[in-house]
Amino acid sequence: MAAPCRRMANRSLLQFFSHFSRTAVRNTGFREFSSNSVCRASLQTKTVTETATSPWTLVAAVCLQRLPVISADLHPLEQEFKEMMLQMELERSLVSDHELRVLEESERMSRKKADDYDSDEEGSQGNQEIMLAQDMEDAWEQKLKNFQLAPRVTADIDKDLTSAQRCLADSLFLLAEQQVGREKLWLLPQTQWQEGETLRQTAERALASLPGNTAAGFKATFLGNAPCGVYKYKLPKAVRTESTVGTKVFFFKAILSDSAPPTSPSLLWLKKNELQKYLKPAYSMKVDRFIINM
Amino acid sequence: MYPVLRKLQVSITQQAFVLNPALTVCRARPSVQHPVWCTDSVNERQYRSMPTHGIGRWKYLLPKRQSKEKKKKGRQMRPIVAATDTAYGTLNVMVSGYDMTLVEHYSQYIHNLCHRLGIKVSESYALPTKSTEVMLMQEVGTKMYVDAVLKTHERIVQLSSLNTTLCPVFMEVLLKTQPEGVQLSVNEHTEDQFKARFKARPELEGLIAQINH
Repeated sequence: MAAPCRRMANRSLLQFFSHFSRTAVRNTGFREFSSNSVCRASLQTKTVTETATSPWTLVAAVCLQRLPVISADLHPLEQEFKEMMLQMELERSLVSDHELRVLEESERMSRKKADDYDSDEEGSQGNQEIMLAQDMEDAWEQKLKNFQLAPRVTADIDKDLTSAQRCLADSLFLLAEQQVGREKLWLLPQTQWQEGETLRQTAERALASLPGNTAAGFKATFLGNAPCGVYKYKLPKAVRTESTVGTKVFFFKAILSDSAPPTSPSLLWLKKNELQKYLKPAYSMKVDRFIINM
Repeated sequence: MYPVLRKLQVSITQQAFVLNPALTVCRARPSVQHPVWCTDSVNERQYRSMPTHGIGRWKYLLPKRQSKEKKKKGRQMRPIVAATDTAYGTLNVMVSGYDMTLVEHYSQYIHNLCHRLGIKVSESYALPTKSTEVMLMQEVGTKMYVDAVLKTHERIVQLSSLNTTLCPVFMEVLLKTQPEGVQLSVNEHTEDQFKARFKARPELEGLIAQINH
């Protein structure tokens, strides 16, 4: 159940963007910004001279999350406690209007069935109910029986890693297989930052450029303009040049807002504990820091 | 403890002496029959001529505080904080749903979460409950009958300023802990929203219309 998370006013976003793009190019300005983010990797203070272009290629990635659709199953202790509380509340509660009606009518029925029943003794009951309360209860029970509940856990869909309907009780994260350098790796969808755009726009572009995306694409709501995590990757010494020392990946969080996103074999929806199998260890260490598993 | 006991014994023995000099046996008894905790010697105030009078006073040492100005915060609107480059302005986090316990507990959770994260909460109020009657058509006939009455409860937690860096974390925690049957919505606070909380005053509006015409 994705909550309707409305965005903040565009006015403030634009102001923020303009501030951001001004400082993005300068190395130190960029560092200051990233140090404000709450979940950040420990940035080493490299002695890099302030040049117009930094030797790091900047990349923005999006951590797209599908929130849980149903509530998680209760722990056995929680289940016991819940039952105990319900029992206590039931014992302490007062009788409701409907229950009073049921009691009155059952009494009236028992009096009617008695041999010495005198309808005049009933007194001024007023209009007698056409529908007895007991009949209403029976009708409601019937309606409940006819109602079909959707299954909470479907084993087949749970095993299909590319489906976004699996594991309804957990939150899932989108992983894409992308070409990085010379090899294909499983990682959070990312693209390189281009001049003149903000990192958040880069992240939105990363989401839009995923394979298997139809015209509709992934309907996602970004949670904010600030990145939630950073991953720094230094190229091996052989490949390192003057202009490229490595890449810095900034992660942005987004929540999936539609229930039937496009599927593709190169996109996976994984739970937090399954992510470790697909991500590289150093990368997964940084990603684990901002993935909240509640 | 001891001086009190002694005083007791002294006073009682004096009394005994005055009333009935023969009953000197009673001296032993007071400590048993009138144990210290039976009398309220603990709460006994010192007499003003005693040197220890007012020995425990400390409030007079504190700096004088101005008496709280009685502000009717209902009438005056709190100024809406404008959004800056690094923080959002006044935001309304509205929690609504049919189950009042869930809605109230969730709004309390949000309030406590803001305290823990250092987000300033300017106001926390409830909007009036809206009742919705669900009417079903009868199976036989054209009359509609009342099937259920649903009450929608709304609670608003107003945050005065939210850091942009804290916003994604805060939003995610809110979304993850959202209970079933409760809707969450975050929007900016406007003056119209504030004005909508007041009741319409038809006489005043009538008089104003009269003045204008």
